Amino acid sequence: MSTFARDGEHFSLELTVDEAHVLINLVEQLLELLGEGDFNHHYDDGDPFAQIMMQMKAAPDEVVVPDDPVLLRLLPNAYSDPEAAADFRRYTEPTLRGKKKRALEQVRLALETIVDQNRAGIVRDVDSQTWLLAINDLRIALSVRLEVTPESFDVFEALDDEDPQKGIYAVYFWLGWLQESLLTLLNNG
Amino acid sequence: MSTETLTESDLDISQLIDKPWVTIVWDDPVNLMSYVTYVFIKIFGFTQERAHELMMQVHVEGRAVVASGTREEMERNVQLLHEHGLWATLQRDDKI
Repeated sequence: MSTFARDGEHFSLELTVDEAHVLINLVEQLLELLGEGDFNHHYDDGDPFAQIMMQMKAAPDEVVVPDDPVLLRLLPNAYSDPEAAADFRRYTEPTLRGKKKRALEQVRLALETIVDQNRAGIVRDVDSQTWLLAINDLRIALSVRLEVTPESFDVFEALDDEDPQKGIYAVYFWLGWLQESLLTLLNNG
Repeated sequence: MSTETLTESDLDISQLIDKPWVTIVWDDPVNLMSYVTYVFIKIFGFTQERAHELMMQVHVEGRAVVASGTREEMERNVQLLHEHGLWATLQRDDKI
């Protein structure tokens, strides 16, 4: 399995073509969910991730509490009081949404070369903080759709290989492993 | 009207105004323990030991107060924590 590497302050990520495809598809689907649709996406509509990610579409013009549970988890309420939460959201949510989109967009651009050449490759000059945040947001998005609990690894192992959710769980756990490998490198700087 | 300058209700009001606000981080089954510790160090400048202690408190007790101060400071904290995908809220600390 691919992993991050570190040389001094330089981080890189070697990916197989399949891994690069899985990652760019997820990144593009989350970008679209966050309201950024200004690119030609690489996945087709039959993609299993597209089907679970696109349960809701079209962001409203006003800044309101999101209906979609993935968006509500990525852009959560800051106060338990609904009125205070709504005020805070009006002032801060566009910035928060923008930062998440920018991190995902940077990852998307870095992956595009590998995906378009359709062969394994190395992402060089990885911005470690950008990738850390983007991978975390992808894990969160998948976890909401999969309704992840602390027992989910057992659920995953018990799933039949033919179960369509099996592959999605596998990617979720792979992303956790990838993130852990980046954190280990960051902590051993 | 009483000539006394200090009444019980005056005390309550001043206490309420002086009450600091707190930033609370809530447990979730997704964020890696190593990631939460890393984010606490990055955002708050905690020592590894303190960050680990607070991460464990979130994990075991379901939540932890990670900072206190003015409302504006806590709003900034919550914004940063949300940027990093942690589930955080702020409130007056008298509600805890």
